[in-house]
Amino acid sequence: MIKQYDLNNEIKFFAKSEIRLKILSELQKEPKSVKELVNKTNITYSSISSNLVKLEERDYITKKKNKYHINTLSEIYYNQLMEFKNSVDLINNFDEFWNKHNINQLSINSMQNINDLKNSELVETTPLDIYRTHNTIKENILQSNTIKAIFPYLHPDYPQLIENIIEKNGNVEIIIPKNMFNGILSEIDKGKRKAAVKNGNLKVHTTTNELNVYLIICDETMSLGLFKSDGSFDQNRLLTSSCEKSQKWANDLFNFIKDEV
Amino acid sequence: MTNLQTKQELNNEFKNIKYILTSTMRSKLILAMYNAPRNLEELRNELKKPSATILHGLKELETKNIINKVQKQYQLTSHGYLLATNMIKLIENWTSINNNTAFWDNHDLTDIPQELLKNMHLLKDATYITSTTSDLSNAFNKYLKLISTSSELKIIMPIYSENHIKHMLELLKKNKLKYLELIVSEDILKSIKSNKSFKEKLLGNKKVKIIPIKKNLKIFLTYSPNFISMTLFFKDGHYDDSQILIGESKNALKWGSKLYKKYNK
Repeated sequence: MIKQYDLNNEIKFFAKSEIRLKILSELQKEPKSVKELVNKTNITYSSISSNLVKLEERDYITKKKNKYHINTLSEIYYNQLMEFKNSVDLINNFDEFWNKHNINQLSINSMQNINDLKNSELVETTPLDIYRTHNTIKENILQSNTIKAIFPYLHPDYPQLIENIIEKNGNVEIIIPKNMFNGILSEIDKGKRKAAVKNGNLKVHTTTNELNVYLIICDETMSLGLFKSDGSFDQNRLLTSSCEKSQKWANDLFNFIKDEV
Repeated sequence: MTNLQTKQELNNEFKNIKYILTSTMRSKLILAMYNAPRNLEELRNELKKPSATILHGLKELETKNIINKVQKQYQLTSHGYLLATNMIKLIENWTSINNNTAFWDNHDLTDIPQELLKNMHLLKDATYITSTTSDLSNAFNKYLKLISTSSELKIIMPIYSENHIKHMLELLKKNKLKYLELIVSEDILKSIKSNKSFKEKLLGNKKVKIIPIKKNLKIFLTYSPNFISMTLFFKDGHYDDSQILIGESKNALKWGSKLYKKYNK
């Protein structure tokens, strides 16, 4: 049976009024009086007080002396709602990155935590700089000692970039389609390659499954690329970020796909 | 009247969630397509609304890039799918708390990180055992039963309870329990040390690892390979042994493991 999901009335009650959301966001920082709420938000006294009444009636806030306090549960509800808001804002902000692109290979977990990518930047090629996405990646790899990557296609620069890292005793772990195995490895110096594999500095996982996502995790940054719905890789767009949360997000996705292949 | 600029700012800030969460039609349509594409007739049957209403809603979602129509099937776009996934997370987060609002509302949650409170959906299948006036130790007995089946236990123990420790020693002795890890505050550790028998049998046991921390925590968390359980403190500071949360799903274990790791540094 297909599970039915439904929005409950509480969610609707919160989402319906920006004023209520604003009040909760203020009370969540610290308890406030009506007057303080009016000053802080620029919303009229009458709107604030009528919504305070509604919130208090439903037991979302409590008045102590002349200050309103947010209740434990409403604070959790509010934060969950804001988490959803942030995710939706992010999905909308990078609409052209997702839209008409294949996201089948993202795990449910990575979709649920999509907000971890909020500090990302969408790197796009321009007519004046058609290699911008590739060069961004190249630069990141050159500055890295460790990379983990899912390469669904082969760029001629990759073998050399990998060789550079193992040469300086760094670590490389890649997931590639089986038919790319020879293409990449034969281009890396045999002696260096064998030593790196032996020391565990070079790990290559191959798969006959289709890889529909491009992911590269460097020391400080992570970059994500997608395939278009028509099956071709979108070389013109790259989502990249250097915050800690997105690093973790990318690592989780990498491990998820590694377990799958 | 609230001035125009404030109004516009407010509208802008929340317009995205308002768009999705306040319209029953829109939200139902998105959720209906989550599992598979749907044609008009299926949507009409599912939502029990006339075609005209449904078509109007579909048109709106199509303009916003949330769905598209391929032949006669309506389906979520990638954008729409991401949105729906997060909507379901929100709904499940909420459901998870509403399974037992009293448990979450009555207790002190300050030591549960915000990150985990935002991921309550992981606990949606958790069960809650409550002691009753006719069975005062219902929750504790259920706990004893659970830990007696485990070969490995990791526990944040925020109280000094001879009763609890005696049971743990018993399990270690029976050899079913192979590894016991305890995160305890320095105060609790001091109390354990002051009991000669515990000092010798618990602290001196090779299968036991003690992780002392500075802070007095307000969570009693047990994390094992097959279950998590949690009891909390009332907001007035007293430990509540009458209500226990038990999670046995993969997601609940994930939630518990994250919480445990937070304090196991």
